[in-house]
Amino acid sequence: MAENQREDPNPPTQTDNSMNRWLELAVPGFSFGGIIIAFLLLNQGYLLSFHIASAGCIIASILLAYLAWIRPKKDIVALTTPIYAVILFVLPSDLVPDLILPILYAVSITILLVRLKYRFGKPGTAVTMGKELGGSLKTYIDQTREPLKNLSPETAHYATLAFVQFAQGDYAKVARISETVTGSDNNPVRDQCVARAFIIVKEHAALLDKALPRPDSYLVFNPEYADLLAKQMPPIEDKDHAFYLALDNALLLLYSAAWNGLERDRPHLLPRQPFAQKLMSSE
Amino acid sequence: MKIGNVDVKVSIVAVAVFVFFTIFLLYASMYSPEVRSQLIWMIPALFMLLVIPMALNYMSRSQYNNLEPIYEAEAKTVRIKLINESMVGKPVRIQGVVERVYFQFLNRPQYLVADRSGEISVKMFTSTNEDIKVNDVVEVLGQVIKRYVVTGDPVVNCISIKKIDKS
Repeated sequence: MAENQREDPNPPTQTDNSMNRWLELAVPGFSFGGIIIAFLLLNQGYLLSFHIASAGCIIASILLAYLAWIRPKKDIVALTTPIYAVILFVLPSDLVPDLILPILYAVSITILLVRLKYRFGKPGTAVTMGKELGGSLKTYIDQTREPLKNLSPETAHYATLAFVQFAQGDYAKVARISETVTGSDNNPVRDQCVARAFIIVKEHAALLDKALPRPDSYLVFNPEYADLLAKQMPPIEDKDHAFYLALDNALLLLYSAAWNGLERDRPHLLPRQPFAQKLMSSE
Repeated sequence: MKIGNVDVKVSIVAVAVFVFFTIFLLYASMYSPEVRSQLIWMIPALFMLLVIPMALNYMSRSQYNNLEPIYEAEAKTVRIKLINESMVGKPVRIQGVVERVYFQFLNRPQYLVADRSGEISVKMFTSTNEDIKVNDVVEVLGQVIKRYVVTGDPVVNCISIKKIDKS
């Protein structure tokens, strides 16, 4: 039923990809490498062998946890492997210090690495931490910078308020903010497309606040604004789709207006970036 | 088993533990007179293995039943796509199709519920009032939380999940 087709909001760069590949190879590399060195040393009669194998497993666990951490979807099993490594290899126990445990542990974390790669998606980058814009959202905001350059800081601030309150689910407040912006004769919005976005958001917020269904007639953007919109209407007409697409476009336009219009509001917009990315990438 | 308005359910794991220790105790008491002399407290302790999970389930279920009208009144109906991290702590109502069911046997069911806009995990920390299966159309009342309390994607901490007729 759902379209599970999410664009990665922060595609890693070439350097990130290369480093992540090396880190992925380093997990079995350190864990099995330590065991191989331990075997070789054992043959030479050195008693330090267990500690070397253990150290390899601990380093590999930390690397695995890091690889799990940088993914947008977190794998709690991989994230906790360093704790198990410390319990098994550092804390005193009654286990006989032989190489069976490191071998089993190395096999386990290698299986976890494969699971992480195939079930928890690709690694993200700094955007996950909310430091900068990324992906198609960034492209859209860059594209709309020029057409929105004459927007007043007051309008941009209202756009921030409307977007943030909408993301928080405070729909009554969103309706009030949009009413303030568009309701009066001396409204501060010079840009007609942005004004339309406020009106569309107001309509949806009022419906959401009262849990009302889609009305038979509803507001959409005029075709002349198509260039300013993030998502284009597909040729097949679906009333539900058109209704919700208008909301996605209106919210994304407000996000862009807020981002481009008032730099000091950006710290409030960055934490809502995942929501904007979700709107951007959904069908 | 129904106690008052609450339908108390014991998980299969609790039953398995009870059965295991019952067999173990029977076997031990047949061969050991020392064990037989201790049966006076061992048998009640054995039953506690069932009584404690039942009591916990009763308490959590009755709490959830008390919360349901509050959520009915306060929850906003939203499409799944609109649920995001900024809504953490907000009561929500979603409607959708159950795509997957996990951990039902542990009395801690987790569902993957989807509507036309997206899908979301719905976690419940007690048993449900009705048996929910894959492809059931449901209405979920709950609170938006982060998957791992302080981090992770937003999920719904379910207070109530009911089958609805969307035909």
